Amino acid sequence: MIVQSGSNRLGIILFLTPVILLFAVYFVYPLGFVFVTSTLDWNGVSTPEFIGLRNFIDNFQNHTFQKSIRNNFIWLFALGFGQITLAAGVAMILARRPRGWRFLRTAYFLPNVISQVAIAMMWKALYNAEYGALNQFLEIIGLSGWTHNWLGEIGTALPAVLIQQVFYIGYFMIIILASTMSIPESFYEAAQIDGANVFQQERYITLPMLVPILVTSTTLAMAYGLRHFEATFLLTDGGPANSTSVMGIQLYKMLKSIDYGHANATGATLVILGIIVIVVIRSTFGRAVNAGEAEQ
Amino acid sequence: MPMVMGTQRNPADIVAKTLKWFVLIAFLVFTFFPLIWLLISSFKTNLELQMRPFNFPEVWQFQNYVNAVKLSGLPGLFVNSVLVSTISTALCMIITSMAAFVFAREKFRGQEMMLNLILAGVLVPIIGLMAPYLRLTYRLGLYDTLWALIFTYSAINIPISTFLMHGFMKTIPAELEEAAVIDGASFYQRFWYVVFPLSRLGVVTAGTFVFLFSWNEFIYALLLTSSMESRTLQLGIRFFTSQFFTDYTSMFAAIVLTIIPSILVYVFLHEKIIKGLASGAVKG
Repeated sequence: MIVQSGSNRLGIILFLTPVILLFAVYFVYPLGFVFVTSTLDWNGVSTPEFIGLRNFIDNFQNHTFQKSIRNNFIWLFALGFGQITLAAGVAMILARRPRGWRFLRTAYFLPNVISQVAIAMMWKALYNAEYGALNQFLEIIGLSGWTHNWLGEIGTALPAVLIQQVFYIGYFMIIILASTMSIPESFYEAAQIDGANVFQQERYITLPMLVPILVTSTTLAMAYGLRHFEATFLLTDGGPANSTSVMGIQLYKMLKSIDYGHANATGATLVILGIIVIVVIRSTFGRAVNAGEAEQ
Repeated sequence: MPMVMGTQRNPADIVAKTLKWFVLIAFLVFTFFPLIWLLISSFKTNLELQMRPFNFPEVWQFQNYVNAVKLSGLPGLFVNSVLVSTISTALCMIITSMAAFVFAREKFRGQEMMLNLILAGVLVPIIGLMAPYLRLTYRLGLYDTLWALIFTYSAINIPISTFLMHGFMKTIPAELEEAAVIDGASFYQRFWYVVFPLSRLGVVTAGTFVFLFSWNEFIYALLLTSSMESRTLQLGIRFFTSQFFTDYTSMFAAIVLTIIPSILVYVFLHEKIIKGLASGAVKG
């Protein structure tokens, strides 16, 4: 594989330098910065003072931060389990190539190429209390008692933001579908001869084969749950009464009030939780993944 | 996959069929109804929006679109977004394909570790790095410039792009280069005349992802710029609410205009985008 002659030490260095430089400046340095400054009492210009884990303790004792981290976990489960279940369900249906499946595959992914910002603005209009399509629809079908100021009431705001995100399954559906379609058809033919119905085929053939890709997708979706920012920022900005806030929103607000110490403790918490999620998922489902891969 | 189904009709299969179409249609409605509602509403008067929410407009208000362009400064936002997305995509593709070439074709000490370190960058929740990115941008004197976004977007995409390009270049047979080496090709010529041209498909796939990321990015556009001059489309949308005040339907027109380029790109490139996603998935 390796072409020995014609290679060149200077060339290697030249070709790697730009990537290494940018990577160091935008990944290595910021990560170090976040972890170091999370232990400092510092506003960016004052003389930094080492205060250990005080910033973290402050954060975790702060009521708004507690709400935010709880909401992050709601996002994590809603995306990691809710969205992945829906995506896997649709992928399993499309893998059987019903009429128009190619069109449906392309259609379901469409919202994923539109920016989150535009999608959020659209939903802000749909949920609007005065002219929003949702309330107007409820009134037309005679359910005017069900109308809400969807994004303005504590009871409905978080579900409203969650639902518009969870049901956009396109990204994970495509990934899971590709994996489903690589299962050999002969497996299903054998099961049909044995009299297995559709549900049994999906349960005992498709699902076990999908375990590796489902674990990967769940990990990714959960990571997105922790990183969540845009839709909440634009739809509710964390309100009402911080009921929809997430860590990203808090981080942004701390930064705007030049509270570097707490902001970076929040950033460090995000990074650490991200690693924990990956490790937990991998070790919980790791055996299942290996078994699934062995079967394939 | 069973293509011939339904030879025997048992109750479970009938339930499955009903459920199948219910699910498929429900998701189709969820995907398209809001977009179509937005599109049709964008041609209405504000009174019609309130009074006749699900009807077609009495008179199609093309004036809304004229207002949209006038009020929102869309052309400027659009130019900024095009500049940021194309330059950051080009920069990212050039540097990551050079690095991927070295990782895929050369051998040196610490190579494996270096590659894994870069690829692990995919796992970093970039949103947690807001504070250092803001500080860094100030320090580099790039705050409130398009270059702040260009460097940030290129850098953020290094891990994913290196991953895709490295995977792609690994599949190019080495014999082609060996022939070039026998003809006396240097390291640089091997890259420029052999491997890079053969990686075109990989560049298009990875480039599409970087471009879409840069085009749609919001958080760092919000954090690293402040003036109208360096505002991108996505950040501009955020200000529509204050710019249009109560002229909702003109605001809808502006939102529709920002969505159109993404849909056009998707119409032309959807095969590539879906294949790119799917192949990444199969490789794990």
